[in-house]
Amino acid sequence: MVDATTRFFEDLDRRGYDPLLAKSSGTVRLDLHEGAHTTHWLLRVDHGRLQVSREDLEADTVVGTSPALFEELAAGREHGVAALLRGDMTVSGDLRLVLQMERLFPSHPDVSGPRRRFHGHPEVQ
Amino acid sequence: MAQNNTIRILDGSTFVVSEDTGDIEATPSEPTGFFSLDTRFLSTWVLTVNGERLNPLSYDDLQYYEARFFLVPGMATHYVDAKLSIVRERAVGGSFRETITILNHDEKPVDLEIRMEAASDFADLFQVKDEILNKKGEIYTEVESDRLRLGYRRGNFIRETAISASPAPRYDRKGFAYSIHLQPNERWESEIDVKTLALSPGGRDLRMGLRSHTERLALQHDLEDWIASAPKVNSQHDRIASTYRRSLIDLAALRFSPLSLGGASLPAAGLPWFMTMFGRDSILTCLQTLPFTPDLSKTTLRVLASLQGTRFDDFRDEDPGRILHEMRYGETAAFEEQPHSPYYGSVDSTPLFLVLLDEYEKWSGDVGLVMELERECRAALKWIDDYADLLGNGYIWYERRNTDTGLENQCWKDSWDSISYRDGKLPPFPRATCEVQGYAYDAKLRAARLAREFWGDPDFAARLEQEAAALKERFNRDFWVDDGEYYALALDPDGRQCDVLSSNIGHLLWSGIVDEDRAGRIAEHLVGPRLFTGWGVRTLAEGEIRYNPIGYHNGTIWPFDNSFIAWGLRRYGFAEEAAVVASGILDAATYFQGRLPEAFGGYPRELTKFPVEYPTACSPQAWSTGTPLLLLRTMLGLEPHEGHLAVEPRLPIGMGRIEVLDIPGRWGRVDAFARGRLDMHRLTD
Repeated sequence: MVDATTRFFEDLDRRGYDPLLAKSSGTVRLDLHEGAHTTHWLLRVDHGRLQVSREDLEADTVVGTSPALFEELAAGREHGVAALLRGDMTVSGDLRLVLQMERLFPSHPDVSGPRRRFHGHPEVQ
Repeated sequence: MAQNNTIRILDGSTFVVSEDTGDIEATPSEPTGFFSLDTRFLSTWVLTVNGERLNPLSYDDLQYYEARFFLVPGMATHYVDAKLSIVRERAVGGSFRETITILNHDEKPVDLEIRMEAASDFADLFQVKDEILNKKGEIYTEVESDRLRLGYRRGNFIRETAISASPAPRYDRKGFAYSIHLQPNERWESEIDVKTLALSPGGRDLRMGLRSHTERLALQHDLEDWIASAPKVNSQHDRIASTYRRSLIDLAALRFSPLSLGGASLPAAGLPWFMTMFGRDSILTCLQTLPFTPDLSKTTLRVLASLQGTRFDDFRDEDPGRILHEMRYGETAAFEEQPHSPYYGSVDSTPLFLVLLDEYEKWSGDVGLVMELERECRAALKWIDDYADLLGNGYIWYERRNTDTGLENQCWKDSWDSISYRDGKLPPFPRATCEVQGYAYDAKLRAARLAREFWGDPDFAARLEQEAAALKERFNRDFWVDDGEYYALALDPDGRQCDVLSSNIGHLLWSGIVDEDRAGRIAEHLVGPRLFTGWGVRTLAEGEIRYNPIGYHNGTIWPFDNSFIAWGLRRYGFAEEAAVVASGILDAATYFQGRLPEAFGGYPRELTKFPVEYPTACSPQAWSTGTPLLLLRTMLGLEPHEGHLAVEPRLPIGMGRIEVLDIPGRWGRVDAFARGRLDMHRLTD
């Protein structure tokens, strides 16, 4: 079974474009630290065009966190901005890129969304 | 609240609130301190000389970011014998800096023990505001050879205050001290620097790379540039020009650079509780100030677009396309004890976002921004239709999904008891307030213009216009209160009217949703005795059960509310009524030295003779600061029209001559001149 982190990045790479990042360009490297071991994801953004690799290259923004927390973020169970304010996720470089990338995380799996009272159905994705 | 005898200096979201001696001694009821990033970094900052507290002779708040305190040792009765002068000069901007100067006026040398007590409780602004204090983390103190570090740690959340002084003092766990010897007429000086740190485990600061003015000189140049690039206002009576100048300076002070924008600034809502980004407040302030400081609008639109909702989040009341309500950076947001990371619980910021973009383009001709934000505009329109219409009947409704810490009332009157029926009872949820339907109507018509003229989508434009027309018809049927001849404040989920008379009907004029043949009746109500006090329009009319002249949203006068009401009156051709409201508010401003508070009491003008400030009102507050600017626009009849600026002044006689020079826009810069010709007694008699 593939983890949520891998699914999140592979999905971005497959789609190749997301309009939410149409005004963003740059590279984001994600460093997932577990003990002495660090794994990497590299996201290249060019006006919304997306390309993902596992390279450990210099990037405009470097995000550091634990694999466990990123797994929760990629599954929508944790919130990126709160994690950043808490210091559980660190950023060096261009903060704007990571705030834009954060918007790609999904809704919480248990979200109810706005509920219509008398007509139609709950408007959940 | 800390309104009396407190001195406030600020730069964006960093500010210091102290006593008139410069001391800080925070208690739950005395919310003084040095604040940044929604966190208190100093809660104790007390200067003593030979163990004695100091007494104030006077203070100057020189600029919004600096103040100077003149002090003497001993009690008030001993002032005449003072042989020492102590001057504290302080400034904020990035960090907090204070210079202490001591002068010995005695003919003998003196030995002095100078001491500064320093401590911090690292309270989150929400804890200060709501007076809750049970910190979950650990407070620590590190005494180093060249500085004192006060810190707070909760998991990876670290905030530190680093205090250093020159010449080097003796640091200890409770502050720092000097033992000095001063000859007759000798002068001694110490320069203190207090830095705030928001550290992540790697030691990096959260705000790294953000531009901030740390140098006093840079702050001064920035303020001079700000004033120089805004239009000049000259008036026959000094008060108009000085109120304008006060507003312009306060707007500069309230500019705030959110973490997400790399240094560009937008207006924060207000000192001291709301020095952060608010969707509604920032947009309404931009609408007020567009003719004078248009760049604020561009930044505000961009930053709000960049944080537009993208998913469903019940804790944050987030939906795709929704424009945020409030962003916070403190501990309670970080640990999700409060939802402000950001919180989306407002129903008006989304339609108002569209209104501002269209208005901004009309003034600036900035087609680039209209193209840049097309996707966000479409998402906002989709939110109005799909996610805000909780009953599926064509209105914007609200009902919070975060029932614990979310906002019950998601309109500008956001206190718990602001929406009621005539019998005083509160309606169930969801609720649909009237002014938000007006904003939606206006937003659709304005978006239709953008779609037709710039996005090349005439079909979409036609659809939006049809929807707007249908909304107007529906609204005039469902919200009209027959026996009172005005619009209901809100509808409840059964379609029953909250049938009180409120100031919200003035916003409806601004949005254009009022049927022409009803506008005259609405104008009469607005300047009639139940709503109009002589100073301004009350939030809730006298005679309603919940009316209270100092009820936050149930009877006080909000200057910003009045500025939009005046604009609405003018839009429907009621220039004299607009001038009545405008001159009442501008008169009130003179009692506050040109700085209008958030709200003031709804007492009749002839009863109190002066406007009574609401007890906990924020000041300066952005949309109160923007009020005189919008009133000037309204009275001068400044309106962008087919690429040029139309000027159609309608001023009361008492206002004399007013000229506004160098109004920026797509026309370059133009001047507007006006002379008071309206005889105001005709209306009020």
